[in-house]
Amino acid sequence: MNAAALPEARAGARVGWPVVLLAVLALAFLAHISVGAKTVPLFTVVEALVDPVDGEFDHIIIWSLRLPRAVAAVMVGAGLAVAGALMQGVTRNPLAEPGLLGLLYGASFAVVVTVGFFGLAAPSWIPLIAAVGALAAAALVWLIAAHAGGGSTPITLILSGAAVTALLAALVTLVNLLDEQTFEELRVWLTGTLAGRGVETLLWAAPWMLAGLVVALGAARQVTALSMGDETAVGLGVDVARLRLLILFAVVALTAGAVAIAGPMGFVGLVVPHMARMIFGHDYRLIVPTSAFCGAIFLLVADIVARMALAPIEISTGIVTALVGGPVFVWLVRTRL
Amino acid sequence: MTEAVWERREGAVTFRLPKRAAAVFALMIAGLTAVLVVSLMTGTYPLDVSGVLSTLFAEAPNGTAETVVWEFRFPRTIVALLAGALLALSGATLQNVTRNPLADPSLVGVSQGASLAVVSLIVAFPGVHPAWRPIAAFSGALVIAAIIQLIAMRRTGGATMRFILTGIGLAAFIAACTQGLLTYGDIDRAQSALGWLAGSVHAATWTEVGWLSACTALVVPFLFWASRPMAAIRMGNDAAISLGVKLRATRIALITLSVALAAFAVAAVGPLAFVGLIAPHIARRLARSGVGMHLALSAASGGLLVGLADLLGRAAFAPIQIPAGIVTAILGVPVFIWLILRTQSRQQL
Repeated sequence: MNAAALPEARAGARVGWPVVLLAVLALAFLAHISVGAKTVPLFTVVEALVDPVDGEFDHIIIWSLRLPRAVAAVMVGAGLAVAGALMQGVTRNPLAEPGLLGLLYGASFAVVVTVGFFGLAAPSWIPLIAAVGALAAAALVWLIAAHAGGGSTPITLILSGAAVTALLAALVTLVNLLDEQTFEELRVWLTGTLAGRGVETLLWAAPWMLAGLVVALGAARQVTALSMGDETAVGLGVDVARLRLLILFAVVALTAGAVAIAGPMGFVGLVVPHMARMIFGHDYRLIVPTSAFCGAIFLLVADIVARMALAPIEISTGIVTALVGGPVFVWLVRTRL
Repeated sequence: MTEAVWERREGAVTFRLPKRAAAVFALMIAGLTAVLVVSLMTGTYPLDVSGVLSTLFAEAPNGTAETVVWEFRFPRTIVALLAGALLALSGATLQNVTRNPLADPSLVGVSQGASLAVVSLIVAFPGVHPAWRPIAAFSGALVIAAIIQLIAMRRTGGATMRFILTGIGLAAFIAACTQGLLTYGDIDRAQSALGWLAGSVHAATWTEVGWLSACTALVVPFLFWASRPMAAIRMGNDAAISLGVKLRATRIALITLSVALAAFAVAAVGPLAFVGLIAPHIARRLARSGVGMHLALSAASGGLLVGLADLLGRAAFAPIQIPAGIVTAILGVPVFIWLILRTQSRQQL
């Protein structure tokens, strides 16, 4: 379980990967800021970030609109990807993902209800509410799957996730119809979008996601052991029950932060960890950080596509991720089940 | 315990009909009539039973009653009942052919394929007559069903679970396409498409009644004719082959039939979720019977379900109208969960 035990090729990949991923991330980040209704040259983007000039039009656009959106994409992409990687590792289920297992919609439902009925729109509360919703939905999905014939297999988990999501989606629509005014803004948010996120929302979500990420990185070693089977993990001295609880906390915190920022952004947590696993193998000490990087890159690119594909009209980023994620899901069903 | 049956074993027409099933069917027809009458009474302009009956069969008490009943409530209710019956038949057929208790047109992407085709039609060619909708819906749904079959069937002959999961993945993909189309389209057309997508019968007129009943009359006889091969397939592929069923051809024909049924219903009222899942199970629990009678019972329960859902959606939060699709989803999920819990072994799932 230590670094020396890694095969030679993987050890080689370990040296090179931070540089490559950082470079790609930086490039995607700058490109994301550069494109839009008014294309800002890359050079101006760098200039604005390094040395902002007061009153310069491009610099104002970048600092007030483009930068918060790019940061939001990085946070949401990284958070959801790590959450997905952890869920796949701990449940040994290639199809585990916050969206498919109902967490995203649980969090969204909780937010819609509290914002709509209790007027609790303060960004400070949203992540906590989202966390409660995600936890409740996760518990419900797991409970249904565990009591199904055959126990909680990938199949029963996906089915109960689909059931819970369908119910929550119907309830959200119902609530929407009952009070159209309050939900005007939420309706766009519900399709998973990065548009119009205030800096304040990002700041309130950041501690949650940071906490989740730290736990994920700290537990990555033990997740590798657990991904090889419960017996193996116990044999390697892992406290399985405690680890599961820790990971549950990390997943819920990451999901809650992501939902507070962007709404239910599906399939990021499914697509990215598999991508990372194909390149970097099965060691979660590598998969967790690389998933974070790849998730951020993936969502930055998806958001560029969402803004550019049908310009000047902008489609929700969640639509783009679903367009990629649906086929990947089908492919996984064909090859991994 | 032997069941009371009516049967005829010789001659050109043979049948075996459990009396209980026949009684349940008669009760359901009575229930459908009751739903129809109550539905005609309910709304912002309430009518009593005598008002409804006199409007239907004699002189209307006044002009408002005449308009409300004949122009709005009657076509709407008929469309709800017909669409429910079609969806239920589609679900029952799909469940029989795939031998999968969880098969449902809205779960395996067929409804979504139909939706995508119809929304494309609404957004891209708003001038086209609504009568084209069922054709578009049928083509869209058929393409999706074919893709699912191709993907799911290739490796293991009849992997039923793969079929469902593939459907879930494709459904997400298609729903995203539809959403993208709605963002792209003109806002007014998008609004009209959006209302339709929630699964609502409130805009139904005599036009919908017309082509929906035409489609029903066209397709349903085939289904009852196919009930015998379906009964054989339900016993397993080997049994069906040894009983002389041309498995491949029958299977394709039945799935196409099921897709057509769902597509017509979706074209009329939008993707009503879970009706095709619940109705056949209700029918099965109420009475044991052969495939033909089960289909009839499923159709009746489907009609009842959507009729009641529409009624509930109109009455629960009046004057706000909840689309029937929301109500069927909220009713359907618990049944779906119950089915997941009840499924005994991995083989079945």
